[in-house]
Amino acid sequence: MVPQLEIRNLHVRTEDREILRGVDLTVRRGELHALMGPNGSGKSTLANTIMGHPSYEVTEGEILFEGDNILELEPHERAKLGLFLAFQYPVAIPGVSVANFLRMAINARREEPIKMKEFAEQLTRAVDLLDVDRSFTSRHLNEGFSGGEKKRAEVLQMAMLAPEIAVLDETDSGLDIDALRTVAEGVRKLHEDQGLGVLIITHYQRILDYVKPAFVHVMMDGRIVLDGGPELVERLEREGYDRIREEVAARA
Amino acid sequence: MPEAATAPKPGTPPQATLNSALDARGAGGEPLAVLRERAREAFDTLELPYWRRSGFWQTSFTNLDMATLGPITREADSTAVPQIVSGRANAGVLVQRDASVVHVELDAELAERGVILCSLEEAAIQHTELFERYFMRRLLLDRDKLEAASAAFWSGGAFLYVPPGLSIEDPFQIVYEIGAAGSAQYAHTLAIVDRTAEIRLREYDLAGATFDGDALHAGQFELYLEDGARCRLAQLTDWSDGHVSDASTSVVEVGRDAYCHWLPALLGGHLIHHHDELVVAGKGGDMAFRGLLFSEAQEHLDVFAVDLHETGPSGGDVHWRGAATGSSRASFEGLIKINQGAQQSHTYLQFHSMMLSADAKLDAIPSVLVGADDVSASHGGTVGELDEHLIFYMQSRGLTRPQAVRVIVEGFFEPLIVQLEDEQLEAAVRSRIGAKLAAAAADIERYALAR
Repeated sequence: MVPQLEIRNLHVRTEDREILRGVDLTVRRGELHALMGPNGSGKSTLANTIMGHPSYEVTEGEILFEGDNILELEPHERAKLGLFLAFQYPVAIPGVSVANFLRMAINARREEPIKMKEFAEQLTRAVDLLDVDRSFTSRHLNEGFSGGEKKRAEVLQMAMLAPEIAVLDETDSGLDIDALRTVAEGVRKLHEDQGLGVLIITHYQRILDYVKPAFVHVMMDGRIVLDGGPELVERLEREGYDRIREEVAARA
Repeated sequence: MPEAATAPKPGTPPQATLNSALDARGAGGEPLAVLRERAREAFDTLELPYWRRSGFWQTSFTNLDMATLGPITREADSTAVPQIVSGRANAGVLVQRDASVVHVELDAELAERGVILCSLEEAAIQHTELFERYFMRRLLLDRDKLEAASAAFWSGGAFLYVPPGLSIEDPFQIVYEIGAAGSAQYAHTLAIVDRTAEIRLREYDLAGATFDGDALHAGQFELYLEDGARCRLAQLTDWSDGHVSDASTSVVEVGRDAYCHWLPALLGGHLIHHHDELVVAGKGGDMAFRGLLFSEAQEHLDVFAVDLHETGPSGGDVHWRGAATGSSRASFEGLIKINQGAQQSHTYLQFHSMMLSADAKLDAIPSVLVGADDVSASHGGTVGELDEHLIFYMQSRGLTRPQAVRVIVEGFFEPLIVQLEDEQLEAAVRSRIGAKLAAAAADIERYALAR
């Protein structure tokens, strides 16, 4: 079977420097991956490049979705294929409620606008999944939201838009333990119930106590330097990034 | 004269009506005939106006060829009610097409309770006492040639009187429509809300048809809120693609413990200069002065908004928003003026702008003149451009770039639009903003890429 998301030898630069220097990574539908690495290793750059952020220039390599190169596609076209990015820093959209934004986003990928009843049912299910109050959806998206509310809103959107592959960029950062548990629980259910493929980007193992990835990758200096299974999370926890950095240096 | 209905409206022709009203006096005591003659002399003497704006541009009416413009009289037409006010519950509707009032309707029960809605010409004859108490009380007639023209040549016009204590939920709708090139529309609205009465009032300046060539709207608007009266006033100016030059003055006087929420929306016009003045004239008077303007293509919109406190304690809150695309010009000049002795006046003025094109110009010029020491008066504002983070965020959810831009610009105006508290009008404003954005999509994209 052709994998949903395949990244081959990806090199990316911004205006002033090269950030990704040959990344290879494959995520299939139904798989749960964790991408770990210290600050500044290029994790967020990878997330934004997958989604097509205009500030990142791909100088070499490919991103394939179901076998087709998507590098020339606009972000909204990638979204329609089934890619989703949960942002590290979700932005506020003034004057637009969570519910209205969701309806716009759903309608953007359909021929016929969704019926109000169908939308309301979907919304109720998603709201229950994430354990948020229904009134949450009539607030303006991310305006005055706490860190936890922003991340819940990201996962709520993910639940509603039902992507094939979701990239979660530091979704665990800035969350207290309760919010973390709810968000992680939501991700786990979408993965288990709907076969969502997930790439969790994080530099703590915390979230991985609740969502168990089968595949773990470690990124340093713009490259993936280690691939493994859940045992890699424990090793990182025990030894820290510095040991791995030394090991990689010795190997080179 | 273009192909226009020049026959007088049924009953008395407008000019004849006005002639028989010339004995009525203005609030200053002068007969209408004398006021009109004075305005006529000012019109003959004064030059066409221009206003200098910051930078290297001005709002100029000097290219207007007055010789090609004249009043066009129209016949009564009960089907004249435009879509924007039809199909809903209204307290009353008055439609002036070019130089003539062509349709008036007033809720029968309200008429019985003493509400008056009629042409201003008719008010001068039938309701002389009210007319003489208020007409031109706050308006001037000789600051420039177009103001003088309006005072000298107005015809038709709208008159609204709401007696004390009435509270009316459905809006009064006054429509000025220009239907043909060559039309000079000298509009005049006089509205009075008597003690503790409460109403909603709308004025629409609209192009009633598409036409080729120049037209002129020189309007005067005066609204008086007596003690404890309340009014939510909205004015929508949208001359669409018509080549209409619009130089108008509106004054709202807020009496003791009265309140006005006033929202002008300037959504289209070839060349517009509006002088909008909100005067808190009675102790305890309060007002919210909101406004939005959105210029596109070659449009030129210019607003001078005055927040005047003649006495205190009084409250004020001015909040306008503007956006510009294409190579349009827009200017918002806001003046807070607190007169000597108007102690305990508190007011704030803010203007927020959003630039959507490299070739557009959008200026905000706030100023404060304070003649009392126990007051608070300040101003603020922001200058914004499209936020690329926001656009990327929405695109990542499946919205196209133009859709994302529309969400941002609508969201920018939305805090004001919802204050219209009128679904039909809100929908019309949103859809007009959407249409302007769609028309400017290529330009907006170019600007984003160039940054």
